[in-house]
Amino acid sequence: MILLEHGNAIIQKTLSDKFEKPSALDVQFVDFDGVRYHMWTPEKKTGILLSMNIRCWDELAKYGAWDVLGKEYGAYLKPPAAAEPGYNVSLELDLEQAPDDPEARDALVKSFSLLRRHALAAPFVKAFQTQKQLDSLPDPTDGSAIPGGELMAIHYRDQEAIYVQASHDRVTVIFSTVFQEDTDRIFGKVFLREFVDARRLPTIQTAPQVLYSDRDPPPKIRDDPALPKAEDVGYVTFVLFPRHFTNPITAEATISHIQLFRDNLHYHIKCSKVYMHTRMRAGVAEFLKVLNRSKVEVAGEPVRKTVTGRTFSSR
Amino acid sequence: MSNSLRPYLAAVRATLTAAMSLENFSSQTVERHNKPEVEASTSREVLLNPLIISRSANERVLIETSINSVRMSIKIKQADEIEQILCHKFTRFMMVRAESFVILRRKPISGYDISFLITNFHTESMLKHKLVDFIIQFMEDVDKEISEMKLSLNARARIVAESYLTAFGS
Repeated sequence: MILLEHGNAIIQKTLSDKFEKPSALDVQFVDFDGVRYHMWTPEKKTGILLSMNIRCWDELAKYGAWDVLGKEYGAYLKPPAAAEPGYNVSLELDLEQAPDDPEARDALVKSFSLLRRHALAAPFVKAFQTQKQLDSLPDPTDGSAIPGGELMAIHYRDQEAIYVQASHDRVTVIFSTVFQEDTDRIFGKVFLREFVDARRLPTIQTAPQVLYSDRDPPPKIRDDPALPKAEDVGYVTFVLFPRHFTNPITAEATISHIQLFRDNLHYHIKCSKVYMHTRMRAGVAEFLKVLNRSKVEVAGEPVRKTVTGRTFSSR
Repeated sequence: MSNSLRPYLAAVRATLTAAMSLENFSSQTVERHNKPEVEASTSREVLLNPLIISRSANERVLIETSINSVRMSIKIKQADEIEQILCHKFTRFMMVRAESFVILRRKPISGYDISFLITNFHTESMLKHKLVDFIIQFMEDVDKEISEMKLSLNARARIVAESYLTAFGS
C-alpha cells in the first residue's frame, strides 16, 4: 500500500456489519492525528450514534465546518448543541430508516467513514471559494498589492499545523511537521527532497508545486505564535493552482489527498525503518554464520549406552 | 571489487594474520589473572606497536597487538548524514548481539565504528584463517549493505513522492 486510504476502516466495517445484523454496540477508537471516535447504540439496537472528537475543532468550526458537514450528512448530523458531551460532532443513524438499496447503503457507509476528512475539508473549501472571489476582483490599478485571503491555521496536532491561504491565482497550503528522532529527521529529508525533485518528471508536471525548507518557516507563517521553536521541524509548501480545484470532483479529490500528506510521509518513514531493521537482522544472521564456520568441531567421545539403552558417562 | 579496495583488504588480511600469533600469557602484576593484555595494558613489554591501515581519510583500520590478544577497530566510510545514521544503526545492531559474536567488542574504541577483540582463547578454539576471513568479509559486506540500504531508501522515497503527486493529476 503506497497511499493511505481516506476513510476510516473501523467505521466502514462496523456500519456494514450492523446493516446486516443490528445489535448493541459501544466502541471507542481513534484515527490519525489524535482523532477519537465513539460509536454506540444509546437507546435501541438500530439507533447508532457516531461521535468524533478532533483537536482543532474550534478552528474548523470557525472556517465553516458545520456547513460542510451539514451539506454532506444533512439530517444525520445532530445540531451543535446536541453533540455528545466530550465530543465535537455527533451523527445519528437509524438503521430502520436507512435506504434499502445496497448501493445507497454503501454510499452512506462510505460517507460516514469519511467524517474526519469532511471536517478537515472546511478550510480548504473556504480557501477555494475565496480564491474564486479574489480572482473575479479587478486588478488594482494604483499599483498596490493584490489582496490575499485570510491565513487559516489548523493546529491539528500538538506541535504541527496546516496553514491554508488563498490568493488571486492560487491556494497555498503549508504543513509544519516535527520529526521526533534523528533518524526520522534524516529519512524525512530524503523523502521531502524527492517530493521536490519528482515534479520534474514530465508525467507529473500538472501536480502542485512543492517547496520544502527545514528549520526556517516560510515568511507567510512566521508570525504564528504557536510555531514550534525546535530544530527538528520541516515545512512543506504546496501551491495549488486553479486546475486542481475548479472542477468540483477534482477539488474533492485534492482535499482528501492533501490532508493525508503528513500521515503518508510519516507512515513511509516508519516503513523504511522497519525495512532497514529486517535487513539488518538478515545481515547479522549472515555474519554470524560466517563466524561460526571458523569454530573447530569438537569431536568428543561418542555417547556410550548400556544394553537397556541408558546412557552413562565414565569419570 | 574496486581497485583501491583490493590492496586495502590484502594489507589488512596480511597484517591480521601476522598479528594473530598469540599465546597464553598470565598477568605479570596480579596473581591468577589472565586478561587480554591489549585491554589491560598492565605491562608495557608485552604490547606491540599499533598499526593503522587507511584507504582514505575516512576509512581506516587500527590493529593493536599484544602477546595474548589483538584488538582491531574499523572506521567505516560515511559520506553523508544518511550513511552516518545507517552505519550507526548497523554497528549498534551488531554490538548489542556481541554475546553471539564472540570476538566482537561491545563498544568501539573512540574514533572508530566497530571493534573486535581476539584473544588467544579464541584462536585456540577457532581456526585462525577463518577468523581472518570473517573480518575481511565483514569489511566488504558492511559497505555493500550500507550503500544498498541507502539506495533502497532513495528508491522508496522516489516512488512514494511520484505516486503521491501523480494522484493530484488524475
